Amino acid sequence: MDPLKSILTISASGMLAQGERLKVVSENVANASSTAMTPGEDPYRRKTITFEELLDRDTGVSTVQVASIDRDGSDFSLRYEPSHPAADETGFVKVSNVSTVMEMANMREAARSYEANMNMFEAARKMRSQILDLLK
Amino acid sequence: MRLSDMSFFNLASRRMNWLGVRQQVVAQNIANANTPGYRAQDVSAFADVLRGTSGAVMTTNTKHISGLNKGSGDISIQDDRDAYETSLDGNTVALEQQTINSTEVTENYRLAAQLYRKGHEMLTLAATGIR
Repeated sequence: MDPLKSILTISASGMLAQGERLKVVSENVANASSTAMTPGEDPYRRKTITFEELLDRDTGVSTVQVASIDRDGSDFSLRYEPSHPAADETGFVKVSNVSTVMEMANMREAARSYEANMNMFEAARKMRSQILDLLK
Repeated sequence: MRLSDMSFFNLASRRMNWLGVRQQVVAQNIANANTPGYRAQDVSAFADVLRGTSGAVMTTNTKHISGLNKGSGDISIQDDRDAYETSLDGNTVALEQQTINSTEVTENYRLAAQLYRKGHEMLTLAATGIR
């Protein structure tokens, strides 16, 4: 496969993966204050995303794909709010383990990586147009 | 007469081919910049490809025996030995480094394409006398 052509596939896979990551981040942020409705229930558990390399054996091109979207197993923190429907007998409510600072950092990194892939796309496009210019 | 047989055009097109592959490797690195355990890669040096010694076993010490494997001269892809940063998840891609590589490739590609064009213009001039 022509390398310049395969760059488009590679960068597109990168952007797709980073887009998926941004989706997970936005789900986490949106649900940062989602609690349970009954005392025994768990609140929203933070989602995590991992990537893996995907090697196309025919062309030797390695792209990226989402390996899995899992749940963060860390502990929930407690908040004292006796009037809440999910409060236990001592008046504490379990709140989700989403850290907005962490999500913000994650979002920034995803956006930057997305941009880097976009720049590669643009660079490959430029190189192709230089080849096409030889025909003029 | 084939254009690719003339050393000038041959050199320029081989250079462009090598730069294309290098750009592809950079794109792969950037796409996998957040993949745990991914090792940044780079292509064999262009000089080695020209000499036909790429793909040979590296002799990093004068006491090493070079061996029978003199290399195929193909463009080979190996782990990037210049990668200077390893993140906690074992990924060795540094986006800054890859961006520099990418810009370098783009500029060199432009140079090679322009040289190719110049060579062509010279042929046209020789054949027609018109610039």
